[in-house]
Amino acid sequence: MRSAKPRKPISYHLRKSLPFWLILPTLIVIIIVQVYPALYTIWLSMQARHATGWEYVGTQNFERLFGTGLFPESVGHTVIFLTGYALVTLTLGFVIAILLKQKVPFTGVYITLLFIPWIIADIIAGLIFRLMVTPDYGLFSGILQNPALFPPNGLSILTAARPAPWFGSFPFPPSPAMIYLILAASWRALPFITLLILAALQTVSHEVMESARIDGANLVQLTRYITIPLILPTMVVALFNLMLGGINGVGMVFSLTGGGPGTTTYVISYLLYVIGWGQLRFGRAAALALLIAAVNWLLILSVLRITRINDRVR
Amino acid sequence: MTKNFYLNRRIWKRRLVGLALLVITVISIFPIATTILVSFKQQADITRKPPVIFPCDTPTQKFDIKACRWSVEGYQRVLAPKPDEGSLFGFKFTGNLLRIYIPNTLMYAFSTAFFVTLLASFSGFAFSRYHFRGHNALMAAIYAVTGVPLLTNILALYQMSITLRKNVGFFDDRMFLVFVYLGFFLPISVWIAKGFFDTIPRELEESALLAGCSTLGALFRITMPLALPGLISVFLLTFVNVWNEFIVAYLLVTKNEYKPAMFGLYDFLSQNIINLQVLAAACIIIAAPIVILFLFARKIFFKAMVEGAVKG
Repeated sequence: MRSAKPRKPISYHLRKSLPFWLILPTLIVIIIVQVYPALYTIWLSMQARHATGWEYVGTQNFERLFGTGLFPESVGHTVIFLTGYALVTLTLGFVIAILLKQKVPFTGVYITLLFIPWIIADIIAGLIFRLMVTPDYGLFSGILQNPALFPPNGLSILTAARPAPWFGSFPFPPSPAMIYLILAASWRALPFITLLILAALQTVSHEVMESARIDGANLVQLTRYITIPLILPTMVVALFNLMLGGINGVGMVFSLTGGGPGTTTYVISYLLYVIGWGQLRFGRAAALALLIAAVNWLLILSVLRITRINDRVR
Repeated sequence: MTKNFYLNRRIWKRRLVGLALLVITVISIFPIATTILVSFKQQADITRKPPVIFPCDTPTQKFDIKACRWSVEGYQRVLAPKPDEGSLFGFKFTGNLLRIYIPNTLMYAFSTAFFVTLLASFSGFAFSRYHFRGHNALMAAIYAVTGVPLLTNILALYQMSITLRKNVGFFDDRMFLVFVYLGFFLPISVWIAKGFFDTIPRELEESALLAGCSTLGALFRITMPLALPGLISVFLLTFVNVWNEFIVAYLLVTKNEYKPAMFGLYDFLSQNIINLQVLAAACIIIAAPIVILFLFARKIFFKAMVEGAVKG
């Protein structure tokens, strides 16, 4: 006995599978541009180039990478960069967001003007900051290179060497160029972080603040016990955003310092470029890329966890 | 009396906040202001030691507003205008920036933003309206992809471009670049678009379906028009991201006539390391369109930014 089930019309199948067809193009693009290259990088990290082609070398690329002195140095630079970048940006972002929340006259104008740095490309931002301190001719070089203000010989940000490290080989007192790079990067990221924090501050309910104030809490207590706990999740999301941007952003290093002076502003993303396209060691660069990707994935997973906890709470 | 005192304190507090904001705004605009200043100087004033802030000093006076030597030399050297009979204003610009790089950037940014918006609206709609098997996992996977560093993939994409250039006849740097940008900016756009679709009430579509509209008809006649403001912000955000992007184009584009503006600017940097006014002028020319766009459409940008960051 054949099944007597009536055949469903084509339009039914089409409707059922519509989401699939809508998502398919996106998936194809993402697989070609994101997934396949990621897998290829894993393969590449175990290869070395020879005259005839690629050859399997196992973990040699990683060993060689760890063997160079430049790798730990760049990691040190990255740690310093990220710490300074996050500290400066989150602190200033918080302060500016609180100021903006007071709704004084012209707040709209201030917000618009404050956000211009965010819209400017990292390569242009780097160049703008470079113009200000170009040796001899930059606008601030006259002040910075004045020996009376910066003994003994004045300070030339783009060429001054790094002071002797305090802790072994960790490049701790960073070179002036690194501090300047942190400033420039923070300048560009600050608007975004400010906006995030401001958006979170707007959700802090007025009633809660008012009742705490009636109970006698002062401004510091209000900030410490109400505002900060309520916007903490946003601060954490902002922090991870900063970390991801900081680890992967390389344009500013290109146009501001070019990694120099010497190697004092080599961050790992710039090191990747140097190993890959400077030394043409793509296998070793792929090994480094995998390490960077691993850190990225850890950050992303943390964000996913935190935001999910957020959703559950709401 | 006490009431007055508190009122006074309140007014003073607000004035202080306003002052603080003013100072912060001035400081944050300062680097841009100095760049504009530098771009209008002459070569002779740029290379003076020690540098002068305003090129307005005379042998006798430190600052004389009438003696200012402003010039557009930097812009002239970037744009390189040459007399030309047939043009509208009697001359045409022959500098590479305006002739090659900015048109390229416009083309890359427009086509990427268009395709990103199209695909993101399709999949954003699907993710927002249907709950199929693996819905959440797929959404999470697409989010996770946004965290894959561009630099990791660029190694493989670079090798891919080399292979394709060798083996595929119709391969074109520009096509490949737009496709790569599409892949980079699509994941976050899908999330943003889904967020916008979530805010549109389902009942509108359902009533259209009941009235005899097809599913795709409901999508294009009801939902898309309502989601348009959100989709425009996805478009603008992608446009700006592509306009500002440097490293991918730097590594993937091989021909001079395909270079986008940021790549051209980087070339300028190596050629004009000492001609600060030329560099500054090039920066201003490239950044101005985006800044103007932002000033006119800032609400749209903020919407997409917050949506992308908080949801993600």
